[in-house]
Amino acid sequence: MAKMRVDNPEIHYKGNVFSRLFAYVKPHRGKLVLCMFLVLVLTALNLYQPLLIGHAIDDCIEGYYYPYVYDNAGDISFGGDTLRKLDDAKNLEGESFAVILNYNDAYYFFENLDKGSASELLKLRDVPESMTADGDTLSVSGKYSGTLLTEDELSVLRKTDREGLIRTAVIYSIVLLVVAICSILNRFTLESMGQSIIYTIRNELFSHIHSLPLRYFDTNPVGRIVTRVTNDVESLNNMYTQVIVRLFENSVLIIGYAVVMISIDLKLALISFAFLPVVFVITMWLRTASRKIYRVVRTKISALNTFLSENLSGMKIIQVFNREKEKGQEFEGRTTDLYKTQMKELMIVWIFRPIIFLIANVALAVIIYNAGGNVLAGTLTLGTMYVFINYIRSFFEPIQELADQFATLQNALASAEKIFTVLDEENPIKESETPVSLDKVRGKIEFRHVWFAYENEDYVLRDVSFIINPGERVAFVGATGAGKSSILNLIGRYYEIQRGQILIDDVDIRALSTAEIRRAIGQVQQDVFIFTGDIKSNIRLLDDEISDAEIESSSVAVNADRFINQLPKRYDEPVTERGATLSAGQRQLLSFARTLAYDPSILVMDEATANIDTETEELIQDALKTLMEGRTTIMVAHRLSTIQHADCIHVMHKGKIRESGTHQELLEKNGIYKKLYEIQKQ
Amino acid sequence: MKAKKEKTKVIMPLLGRYGIHYAIGLIMLFTVDYVNLYIPEFIGNVIDGLESFTLDLNGILTICLRIVICGLIIVAGRFLYRLFIFGSARKIERRLRDMMFSKLELLSQRYYNEHKTGDIMSYFTNDLEAVRMAIGPAIVSAFDASVLTVMVLIRMITKVSVSLTLYTLIPMGVIAIFGYFYGELIEKRWAKKQESIAALSDFVQESVSGERVIKAFVQEKAQERAFDKVNDANRKTAMNVQKLDSAFGPVLHFLVGVTYVVAIVVGGGYTIKGEMTLGSFVTFNYYIGSLIWPMLALGDSVTLVSQGIAGINRIHQVFDEPQDIVDDPEPDNVTELEGEIEFNDVTFRYRDDLPLAVDGVSFKIEKGETLAILGRTGAGKTTLVNLLTRVYDIDSGSITLDGHKIKKIPLSVLHENIAYVPQDNFLFSDTLAGNISFGKIGASREEIEKAAKSADIHDNIMEFPEGYETMVGERGVTLSGGQKQRSSIARAILKNSPILILDDALSAVDTDTEERILDNLKRDRKGITTIMIAHRVSTVQNADHILVLEDGRIIEYGTQDELLSRDGAYASMFRKQQLESELSMVE
Repeated sequence: MAKMRVDNPEIHYKGNVFSRLFAYVKPHRGKLVLCMFLVLVLTALNLYQPLLIGHAIDDCIEGYYYPYVYDNAGDISFGGDTLRKLDDAKNLEGESFAVILNYNDAYYFFENLDKGSASELLKLRDVPESMTADGDTLSVSGKYSGTLLTEDELSVLRKTDREGLIRTAVIYSIVLLVVAICSILNRFTLESMGQSIIYTIRNELFSHIHSLPLRYFDTNPVGRIVTRVTNDVESLNNMYTQVIVRLFENSVLIIGYAVVMISIDLKLALISFAFLPVVFVITMWLRTASRKIYRVVRTKISALNTFLSENLSGMKIIQVFNREKEKGQEFEGRTTDLYKTQMKELMIVWIFRPIIFLIANVALAVIIYNAGGNVLAGTLTLGTMYVFINYIRSFFEPIQELADQFATLQNALASAEKIFTVLDEENPIKESETPVSLDKVRGKIEFRHVWFAYENEDYVLRDVSFIINPGERVAFVGATGAGKSSILNLIGRYYEIQRGQILIDDVDIRALSTAEIRRAIGQVQQDVFIFTGDIKSNIRLLDDEISDAEIESSSVAVNADRFINQLPKRYDEPVTERGATLSAGQRQLLSFARTLAYDPSILVMDEATANIDTETEELIQDALKTLMEGRTTIMVAHRLSTIQHADCIHVMHKGKIRESGTHQELLEKNGIYKKLYEIQKQ
Repeated sequence: MKAKKEKTKVIMPLLGRYGIHYAIGLIMLFTVDYVNLYIPEFIGNVIDGLESFTLDLNGILTICLRIVICGLIIVAGRFLYRLFIFGSARKIERRLRDMMFSKLELLSQRYYNEHKTGDIMSYFTNDLEAVRMAIGPAIVSAFDASVLTVMVLIRMITKVSVSLTLYTLIPMGVIAIFGYFYGELIEKRWAKKQESIAALSDFVQESVSGERVIKAFVQEKAQERAFDKVNDANRKTAMNVQKLDSAFGPVLHFLVGVTYVVAIVVGGGYTIKGEMTLGSFVTFNYYIGSLIWPMLALGDSVTLVSQGIAGINRIHQVFDEPQDIVDDPEPDNVTELEGEIEFNDVTFRYRDDLPLAVDGVSFKIEKGETLAILGRTGAGKTTLVNLLTRVYDIDSGSITLDGHKIKKIPLSVLHENIAYVPQDNFLFSDTLAGNISFGKIGASREEIEKAAKSADIHDNIMEFPEGYETMVGERGVTLSGGQKQRSSIARAILKNSPILILDDALSAVDTDTEERILDNLKRDRKGITTIMIAHRVSTVQNADHILVLEDGRIIEYGTQDELLSRDGAYASMFRKQQLESELSMVE
């Protein structure tokens, strides 16, 4: 048999992985477009949120910056006058004005000012050196004097500011609600898309795997195939849900931040951007380094788990061989090694992740310093400074997320390559496009000059020819590796021959559908495979057309009913994985019942090696007789005693049929068979 | 009661050993949290200073430098608390893992019969991880949830405003409750999802393993339909998790937003009225930001701690497991055994509700003799051997070796003097040389090869490209049943003990090989007491005595000739197997 592929030499998938991955998104285009749209809305709203608060600060909380005009149509009545708040401090329209100044966290009111005085006061309010407070009055450059405002008076004067504040709060709440709804919708749509896609890929993969020839299963361990269907597909999910749209989202977000920051203040924006490449490079480096060591950690963990599960199953051997101490030391050695590697991994994360925080912190300080200077110079308002500080605090998040997404993408691409390699695995056994259909397989089998090798030119069968007529019993004997079992495999077209022809009922098997051939063949195998389920489901497998009555009659016919009837739930008795609760003999009988229930015309048997007690052995021999009745039977035998009654015995040696004939004829020939017989007789 | 007492014995001393580490870690954590709160305050100071024109550019620079210094302290502190707290948790995890393995080595097969390997494995994986999370991240979460919350609240109250703090506490409380319930719910759904992915994995595993049957019975389409069901179920459970998960972030974001709205309306109102400075308002907004994490940490720590407790309780089941096969407190002074074995009216049952597996068995094997045991599957053959090796202890009667009761012989001496070939031919994932020398550490290559030759496996091994260095198991070659059996015989031969037990050890080799191995044993291992369990008459006919078991009782005992002349079970078995060859002679 071919050797197992040890590592993963098959992962050299060439071809466009991306376009293939995107092909699965096609049926979900609508959803994807919706998500992209939602992302745009969300990004805009997310950028808008700090602006709203900045506005609240500048126009409402800092609203005393704006002067009042005496206007009978105004909405503020203060001390018998009617006032209206202006929304522009530069362009004063009206005749008489009032202004509020802040000095040492106290507010003073300057009434009845003409346009000139009001303008001068508005300029002087940034020059605290010009002010002197004396009790309830504040005098500014000796010219103007204002009175201290009480809390109640301030409330009245700043009525519109409070109203504006509440308006902002309402808008902010609406924005929050819209953001919440949109992002729930966005995430949910993405997840359902991802789940649908991986569901589709899984089904496709599973069907494809079962369509592959046995050769594939000879060379690929079960564990690896299971990983393809489970973990590898799962990591694709992450790509569909977390990468495609998030990559877009974060790119939009970074651009959005950049645009808004530039529009607010070019110089501050440029200073902020200077930090980006540093953050990006460090983040990428950190991701690569930690991923590398993380892989080592994963390998060590799984090695430790393998060690554990093996040693727990073999604990009896350890104890009987008195090796507890040595195994304990070996285990400690492994855990210490794992611990050290884990600590290395953690150190990288612990040391370098805070560095990003530090950079963000420095960026914050630099922005505060520069923005503060601008505020002092009067070129920036406090609200805008607040907005900027807010932006710089969240500016680095999308960058770090981008790095995460690249990592996810890399993992997903690696998995995708493995998955596509399996999906591209071709079945060399080509089904005929116009298969000949046999009404009822009679069971004639012919081999014509068949040459067959599992690998390359190592021929297991060399020019083998024979004919088996319907209903005949034919046995193949020979040493291990003589090619006996290969003949059984070839009849069911599990492997493709290199030269010659195999015919069933005089039709080349390549012209028949493999399903039809295999349905006509009943296989009795050495190693009986039992599925999790119950006795019944193991006899009928997944074919609902086999009735309970048929199951029972098949079981009776092959003597399996005796042990089944002793089980508490008889045919409904659950059987665990691999049939661990059943003895080897019981498993064998169960497989006979299975074979009989499917009523094949050809019976193919690989004789079991004698691992069964005598009594069960008798039941099995008896059951075999029932099975063989009226069926073409081909058997591979190890013990001559079981095949003496065959219609024809073929003696195989090194891939060739050396002798053929009945038991008696072969003995008379005085050849290999006679020699084999003499050896076993002893 | 006893279990309760034991509980404190395992984890507490370990935690105690790292008590100082934890204390230093917590101090570091406190420092980080404390310094972290200065940053919003500094930002507020800048804004207030700018508003009231009390700050110049140099003043701003000083504050900015303070912010950077805070950043440096935080970075150093974070590293240190992780090193001390998480590092200790890792150390404790490793220690627990080693202790657990040592304890498991002391437990008898009775324990392993009642506990599946997969379940024991989960102590090492899931439960240990839960414990590590509880003594690491959960401690940080709990500290932040309590101490950090209090610290932030005190600052909010003292530096900003009592009433504003109280207002914002309402949505904050909602966040804490929301986080907790979310954690509970997602945990359950996540567990379901894990179950369904495990089911999916099992299905594929079984389906691929049964590939031959599926192809032979043309079940591909039926398998696809069955898989579709499992696959669909998996998608549904995954969506159940995702539904909740998709909502979590946005809802949290919303609740945090609401907190800000409260701060804007109430705090902004205070600022307008001049009750609060603008800087305090901004500082307050940043404080809200620092409260979100502790609110979520609250739910986290509750979940992590409860999982950790559940985990340590399960782990304690291992440590609390009584050791049933132990050395006698006053053992006989034996270091070497000759190999005279005597069973005297031995009875044994696996569980109280099961029938006797061994029922009044008595026999004697003289030093150097060979005893063959025959009987049907389940007759008690392997059990007899398990009693002799003290895999299980007998219920009544006695087993003596060289006149010493086996319970009085130290286990290590007993095991050192018995070489055993088990029925299931268990080999380790090691090289063939490593496997064969398992019973004799440091055996030379010559010794290994000699044993392999005796077991008739040497030639097979030499055919492998890497010879004796070939790895066995998943990562190496897959040995055939016969090759495994012969390797395991070589392992027993190399051990060179005065007693050799072969438990159905020749079933997978052909009669020629069997004969060669038996001849080799006879030649190389003279004077060795041998117990041989077999099915084939050919295997046992050269034994000094043959013992036939049925339902745990001896039904026949004697030499081959004696048993043949008795015309009982053995004679009938012998004849049946003999008949076949005779029949063929006649034909």
